[in-house]
Amino acid sequence: MINFTPEEKRVVLFLLCLAFCGLALSNLTKLQPQIKKVVYPQVQLAKLNLNKVSLEELIRLKCISAKLAQQIIEYRNFRQEFASLEELKEVKGIGEQRYEKLKGIFFVE
Amino acid sequence: MKRLLLVLTVFYCLGIILSNLIQANFWVVMGAGAVVFIAANLLKRNDYIFLVLTLFLTLLAGALSLSNSRILPRCHISNFTYYKDNSLYSLSGFIDSEPEYKNNHLEFTFRARQIQRDQFKWRCCGKVLVRIDFMQRLNYGDNLTLIGSLVRPYSFNTASQSYKNFLARQNIYLIMRIKEPRQIILQAKDSGNKLIRYSFWLRAKFEGVISRFLGDLPASILSAMVLGQKRNIPWLVNNSMVRSGTVHILVVSGFNVGIVAFIMNLLFKIMRIPRRVRIILTTACLIIYCFVTGTSNPVIRATIMGVIFLNSYFLKREADVYNSLAAGALFILSINPGQLFDIGFQLSFASVLAIVYLYPKLRALIHLEDCKVKIWKFIIKGCLVSFSAWLGTLGIIALNFRILAPVTVLANIFVVPLATLITLCGFALVISGLIYPALANLLSLPTAMLINLLLSLNAAIIKLPFAYFYL
Repeated sequence: MINFTPEEKRVVLFLLCLAFCGLALSNLTKLQPQIKKVVYPQVQLAKLNLNKVSLEELIRLKCISAKLAQQIIEYRNFRQEFASLEELKEVKGIGEQRYEKLKGIFFVE
Repeated sequence: MKRLLLVLTVFYCLGIILSNLIQANFWVVMGAGAVVFIAANLLKRNDYIFLVLTLFLTLLAGALSLSNSRILPRCHISNFTYYKDNSLYSLSGFIDSEPEYKNNHLEFTFRARQIQRDQFKWRCCGKVLVRIDFMQRLNYGDNLTLIGSLVRPYSFNTASQSYKNFLARQNIYLIMRIKEPRQIILQAKDSGNKLIRYSFWLRAKFEGVISRFLGDLPASILSAMVLGQKRNIPWLVNNSMVRSGTVHILVVSGFNVGIVAFIMNLLFKIMRIPRRVRIILTTACLIIYCFVTGTSNPVIRATIMGVIFLNSYFLKREADVYNSLAAGALFILSINPGQLFDIGFQLSFASVLAIVYLYPKLRALIHLEDCKVKIWKFIIKGCLVSFSAWLGTLGIIALNFRILAPVTVLANIFVVPLATLITLCGFALVISGLIYPALANLLSLPTAMLINLLLSLNAAIIKLPFAYFYL
């Protein structure tokens, strides 16, 4: 037999533990679809909700200039909310190139 | 002197800094070096004087290497272009990096071999940054002829961290922008290093496995943690990790190199390969992993340290962490002395040095050995490691990023163990995805859940009062 060191034994146990956790989660996600929210990261963790983000938050995060943040919030207040992300192009100061960048920062819900 | 390599590296670095400040003539410094060399040779019987002169010689070597690295060869491509030159050039050469899609452009470095303007052709050398405005399937090593104008990168400020200086540190002094497909002519034969080409192929394979089993967001995080590929990480995630001081987990570091060494050693052991051959094979795997992750400074440092630790068995000597760290720095700086001014280089070495030096001192200071409860000991150890790394990098971060994050120590206590688990899961996922996809399917669920937990935790931590300040 191969003589495993204590570390190697730990690796085997870790892999087995991981596989069992996977089995348990697979079973739970099939039975209770809401568990998926616990397993998979939600979009809110990676992007800002364009319809909920505040002016202070936009300025504090330094993702866009204060002037542009003001323009976006004014547009949102005027239209009640953004129906789609594409609507960002209608905000003054946002062209095709800037829109491509902002697409990775915001989402619309 | 037990840590001679460390002392020599410190003097070599001092030489680079001095050369950057004074910018003395190369041949004047060379003359001084020759005088010191002769003096060291004549006075070698006196150990103390010999040591002082050797250290001074190392300092001069550092200064000379920096000034030499800033002198471009005559055939360098930047010598064939003029400032504010709009004429069309035809460049022949090959792609020297993996093309990456960044800010709506396909970007890569191009190693030029021939430059043509009008009917005149010259042989040339040097690298050019190429930006393509459309999508085209290109790979490392592709032989191309590019037609376009060459521009020099513009610097908005004189700071050493400007974009112009950042490119200059990578020996790039020109940018070519390609707007139409007809500006690219693909040649039949491929060039480039075969090992690098194989490493990029391997990386694409691993990235494919990760994105097949995980969603976009967890895949982007895992690709960064396991393969060092940060390009798909959302802006908000990166930004929130910068603010909590945990962005280092998105960089491949010594921990990853350690895992690769451990896994490969275990696999070779199962195959009953003798120890000597096992060490050689593991070393080879570490070098391949270094190329897979893009040969960034932290990975080169960790690989060199790993190789020294592995091969100390052959030399029958105990590896010293300070000396192996110094060897890593010396290796990087001897190739490109300008890397000393790179923030990534500074952070990588400062954090490891701080952990190695401060952690044992802090441990002794609070008498950690007296603590009997294992779980408390484990938590305190984590705190001390985070605190040491934070202290070591505090100055560099405050100076360059203008951010001070007291929450870093707290964040790292939770985030680092979680990131360790995710990295381990990531390696297990990649390996199982290649050999047994059914198992990878199972492993992907706990991995995604841990990434979700990490992001949620980080988002909660930065919302704490006084978590971070912009300076």
